[in-house]
Amino acid sequence: MPANVTRGGSPVNCKGFVMEYFLQQLINGLTLGMIYGLIAIGYTMVYGIIGMINFAHGEIFMIGAFVSLITFLLLGALGITWIPLAVLVVLIATMLFTSVYGWTLERVAYRPLRDSPRLAALITAIGMSIFLQNYVQLLQGARIKPLPPVISGGFRFMKESDFVVTLSYLQVFIILLTITLMLVFTYVINRTSFGRAQRACQQDLGMAALIGINVDRTISLTFVTGASLASVAGLMFLMNYGVIDFYIGFLAGIKAFTAAVLGGIGSLPGAMLGGLLIGLIEAFWSAYFTVEYKDVAAFAILVLVLIFRPTGLLGKPDIEKV
Amino acid sequence: MSVAAPDKLGDSLITVEHLTMRFGGLVAIDDVSFQGANREITAIIGPNGAGKTTLFNCLTGFYKPTVGRLTLHHPRKGDFLLERMEGYQIPQRAGVARTFQNIRLFPAMSVLENLIVAQHNALMRASGYSVAGLLGLRGYRQAERQAVELARFWMDRTGLTDRADIDAGNLPYGDQRRLEIARAMCTNPVLLCLDEPAAGLNPRESSDLNALLRYIRDEHSIGILLIEHDMSVVMEISDHIIVLDYGRRIAAGTPEEIRNNPDVIRAYLGENEDEPLPPEVVRDMEEER
Amino acid sequence: MTERSATTSPVLPPLDAVGIVREAGLTAFVVFALTFSLVGFKVEDVPGGLDIVTRFDQVLAATVLAFTGRVVLILLHKRRHLPVILVGLAIAAVILGLVVAARGAPESATAAWLPFESVVVNVLVAVAALVLAGRAAWSAWRRDVGVSDEAVELAARVHKAAIFLGPLMLGFAVVLPFLPFADRRLLDIAILVVTYVMLGWGLNIVVGLAGLLDLGYVAFYAVGAYSYALLAINFDLGFWVCLPFAGIMAAFAGILLGFPVLRLRGDYLAIVTLGFGEMIRVILLNWYEFTKGPDGISGIPRPTLFGLPFTRTDPDGGETFHSFFGLTYSPLDRIIFLYYLILILALVTNFFTMRIRRLPIGRAWEALREDEVACRSIGINPRNTKLTAFSIGAMFGGFGGSFFATRQGFISPESFTFIESAIILAIVVLGGMGSQIGVVFAAILLIGLPEFFRELQQYRMLAFGAAMVAIMVWRPRGLLAFRDPTIRLSDHDTAPEKQT
Repeated sequence: MPANVTRGGSPVNCKGFVMEYFLQQLINGLTLGMIYGLIAIGYTMVYGIIGMINFAHGEIFMIGAFVSLITFLLLGALGITWIPLAVLVVLIATMLFTSVYGWTLERVAYRPLRDSPRLAALITAIGMSIFLQNYVQLLQGARIKPLPPVISGGFRFMKESDFVVTLSYLQVFIILLTITLMLVFTYVINRTSFGRAQRACQQDLGMAALIGINVDRTISLTFVTGASLASVAGLMFLMNYGVIDFYIGFLAGIKAFTAAVLGGIGSLPGAMLGGLLIGLIEAFWSAYFTVEYKDVAAFAILVLVLIFRPTGLLGKPDIEKV
Repeated sequence: MSVAAPDKLGDSLITVEHLTMRFGGLVAIDDVSFQGANREITAIIGPNGAGKTTLFNCLTGFYKPTVGRLTLHHPRKGDFLLERMEGYQIPQRAGVARTFQNIRLFPAMSVLENLIVAQHNALMRASGYSVAGLLGLRGYRQAERQAVELARFWMDRTGLTDRADIDAGNLPYGDQRRLEIARAMCTNPVLLCLDEPAAGLNPRESSDLNALLRYIRDEHSIGILLIEHDMSVVMEISDHIIVLDYGRRIAAGTPEEIRNNPDVIRAYLGENEDEPLPPEVVRDMEEER
Repeated sequence: MTERSATTSPVLPPLDAVGIVREAGLTAFVVFALTFSLVGFKVEDVPGGLDIVTRFDQVLAATVLAFTGRVVLILLHKRRHLPVILVGLAIAAVILGLVVAARGAPESATAAWLPFESVVVNVLVAVAALVLAGRAAWSAWRRDVGVSDEAVELAARVHKAAIFLGPLMLGFAVVLPFLPFADRRLLDIAILVVTYVMLGWGLNIVVGLAGLLDLGYVAFYAVGAYSYALLAINFDLGFWVCLPFAGIMAAFAGILLGFPVLRLRGDYLAIVTLGFGEMIRVILLNWYEFTKGPDGISGIPRPTLFGLPFTRTDPDGGETFHSFFGLTYSPLDRIIFLYYLILILALVTNFFTMRIRRLPIGRAWEALREDEVACRSIGINPRNTKLTAFSIGAMFGGFGGSFFATRQGFISPESFTFIESAIILAIVVLGGMGSQIGVVFAAILLIGLPEFFRELQQYRMLAFGAAMVAIMVWRPRGLLAFRDPTIRLSDHDTAPEKQT
């Protein structure tokens, strides 16, 4: 993933302007972090409720990006070029169609294994991940798909120096959309009956079933919610980087999982926080150290967090029951 | 509060001094001190949530106590400060073995294997840390034969010999309880900590258990710490009883003393003594008298 | 089984036609929603950008097939065998007929009637229809055996057979190169399969015995391969000298990586090991001075038989394998030698595993897999025990890696991606954790079979992923999950005890 050549960002290697450069990386990192955060919520919700790592979640994100691309091209072909309408249609389409994949994933691959050894579920998840990657590769081709910028331009400030800090309209869009989604999502979890059922299942699946919560439906809805958030992340990724291929889900998935662990797996605010941190770390690492090792940075953080603070930043401490 | 002196004669085996265990704001054990003696069964009783299992977890290294000193006086090796040792070293060096409230066997391994694994450390040395074992040397085969004999001894004692090659997970409940005790004994302990060994047993199994525990105490000369809710077991076989309530030690003494201790009765039955007791409690109390 | 006579003429409950249509309709709707986006539209690369083409015919075909398939499955479940057989045969006949008729004329009108563009998918649909029909016929004939019972019964039978199957397969593996049909292609596939069998057996120590979920096994494979390649090239050492070094390096890497992370629980450990695997690959990719980065290392020496090279002539003018034994030169000699080399390595791994299972350390691994808390309560040091499993598993990975390097003659980070780890883990888990013969079956199934269908290359990984899911859903404990006790009381009932 080309982290430091995002559309919004200005070119790097302008190290004479310390403050400006830092600010630019901060903006880029936050944008990236919001994308990771949206994916991370899917990991953390599923882990919280059925205690498994949904390894195929990165692929759901990738499918979201592809559905977005297809819808953009379709709208272009249909002549709908008014940007706000086009983006809104794409957003709805990708959430809708991608969540079907999320639902089916749980129904076909995970539900039959709910009472099986955890290893079996993990293997199935890896199998699903491989399957979906190759499914998309077969259907849409292996070549990288470029999309011309949909939203261009941006705010420029600190113009007095030669290094111009840019906050692109696209980045504003990503940040605002993420905040909106988070508000809606928080409302759903805290105020709706699905949210209550979801939280109950997260506490104790068996007990939730005993008091009459439809556990199957709640788990399905959890996957649907996670998938639709990931699909929005896919849309943002597509618009931000302008190129996608069938393989983007793997690394983005790993990083988002790292974000979920960093924030404390099972904690929804933690997932967003973790996502933002990973995004920032990645942006600053690429900017100040080496781009080549930026993916190693995410893994190194994952390892360090798990060793020194396995419950993450916002996770609840886990006392060993004997 | 001074360190509790042993109330009964017998070599002191375990000394617990000012043990306190906190989880965040919750005080699970609050300044508990007592001693357990060699060749004695010391029962630890108390209502649910009194901190009994937490006490065991501190003793066997699963939790690090917040405050306090746990000294094991090993008859041959000297004193061990348990709170400073890693969990696995406590059975390995100090000779403290335990069982669990919800049985923890190796379910996919056979009964015999469960008992052989318990002799891991001795066998590891004998197998030359696997090198001699891989080469199939004689010394190791000899050691393994001895290990099987020890296992067989305890299987005979617990009535599991016929089921030696069955997976532990497929045993009936009562057999699993006894296997767990046999496995603990195969580690050659000096102190055996049993967490509700009679839970879920029928009256016959329960009385067999009493016999087994007495046998272990008398013939193997080791100390037993026993958490138990079944008063018929506690009153019948223990030499000494410690009562915990809300993490505090509220009484200690012989079964006779405990039975008549008003604090204990209050802890078990609640403050409101005007309320009539449930009939089954009355029956239990009368039976024990 | 005893109720066979009672169920010979079962009274079937009446069918709920509306319910069936509703359920099948739901399935069809889901399939429609799934396929509409990604199958219905295809992004085409055209000069100057992207274009979009539609494939709604295939969406329609998939939806209709999903509806029919669901109805057929419900009928099968309700024991209405005859319609299932008829519909299955009809679908298969129509599709296969069209495929045959459309051969050589992909643009013809006949071809347009085929449900899918791809021949492979069409044939697969037909095969699925045939399988369903066959299954219905089988249940109709057996009457009382439900679908799931069959699976269990079959597995039990294979499991019993496994005891004498092992030696039989070994015998076959030994004589394979001399069988009349053993050509270069077959031997190459055999080498590949045996390599994965060996890696599977190595990983089985970590995953199957110790229960440590390692998703980064390929890291040790890579360490072994690079150790051999760099030692052989920089210090001019032979394969046999380097092999133990490569193993030690890999085991050392195992200890280094394992030390901080082995206290993590199952899934976390899996992700962290995955991370380590990727880290090692990224390092290999970027540490150019040492590893030549993405260019890889070429010219890795080929193995020799006690110094006898398998070439037509020795560049140094010495003896070669064929001249020493007075044989005519055949390029196949080297392949056969490589085959036996990996076979021996694999057998050593197997022998080692079988043996160590019966030692205290092996039993401690299994106990750790079963219950770590109980292990601590009987004085087993969990960290050291896990580390030995991890590093021994890594060592065999390292051996496998140096074989890979000497066989290919060229290595690059490309060969050590996450997918390799996933494949090896899949072999272990699908075979049935801890089962040595299960690994062999799974390797043949997952590696061998797809190799024979190289033409279907693009579908290979798709089928691989689908197979992983299907097998796990069908048998969550693996194909041949069974375990023999490592010691039996009857083996040890000694004479003096019997006298008492």
